[in-house]
Amino acid sequence: MNKRLLRCSVCNDIHLGTKGPEICPTCGAKNAFVVVDRDEALKVIGDQGGKIQTVEELVAVWSDFTKEKDFKLADDKEMIETLAKGELENQKNRGLKYCPCRITTGDFEKDLRLICPCNFLIQKTWKDYGECWCGLFVKR
Amino acid sequence: MGRECPHCKQTRPLIDRLVSETNIEITEMEVWHNEENARLMRKYGEAISKACGGDLGVPSFYNERNGKAVCGRVTVDTLRKWALE
Repeated sequence: MNKRLLRCSVCNDIHLGTKGPEICPTCGAKNAFVVVDRDEALKVIGDQGGKIQTVEELVAVWSDFTKEKDFKLADDKEMIETLAKGELENQKNRGLKYCPCRITTGDFEKDLRLICPCNFLIQKTWKDYGECWCGLFVKR
Repeated sequence: MGRECPHCKQTRPLIDRLVSETNIEITEMEVWHNEENARLMRKYGEAISKACGGDLGVPSFYNERNGKAVCGRVTVDTLRKWALE
């Protein structure tokens, strides 16, 4: 898949994909995305976006991710915190918030599939038990 | 095993039970914080990832005697079968 960086010519939203969104999710402009190079995209992003560095911040992101979806966070708060700590450790040691219940292969492209939240809807555990591999996200 | 993996934690009493029932030897290896153990897991990657449904997951159990692996949420019966097969 040949992804490119695109910038909304109205509000400077940055998008990485094969094509830009038809409608800019931030400003609503139609067909406004234009291909840019990496340097321009990084300069536009600058310090925006913030960091997710604490268990509380990460759990809040996960919680937000489940809104209006057919899955939610597991009920076990201790388990959620353990997983969050593991992911923050993985971020520190390996650069990305990899799932603590699977192991990186060393192949960067392959390992991108292990960043949490992953595409758990295709996993066997989702089909069999209604939960992601870790049990962090469960069916409502 | 992975230190921050909930299913690994849940599986530990099952391993204790299996060991006390069968007297077999199971060596536990942490693979997220010990690169040497992770390398060993990758060495057995084909059997383990097959058992995990495509990726290398934890908890994983690899039988050195017959090369068979089981992975993820398991029952004590599954473990017994894996160990004694």
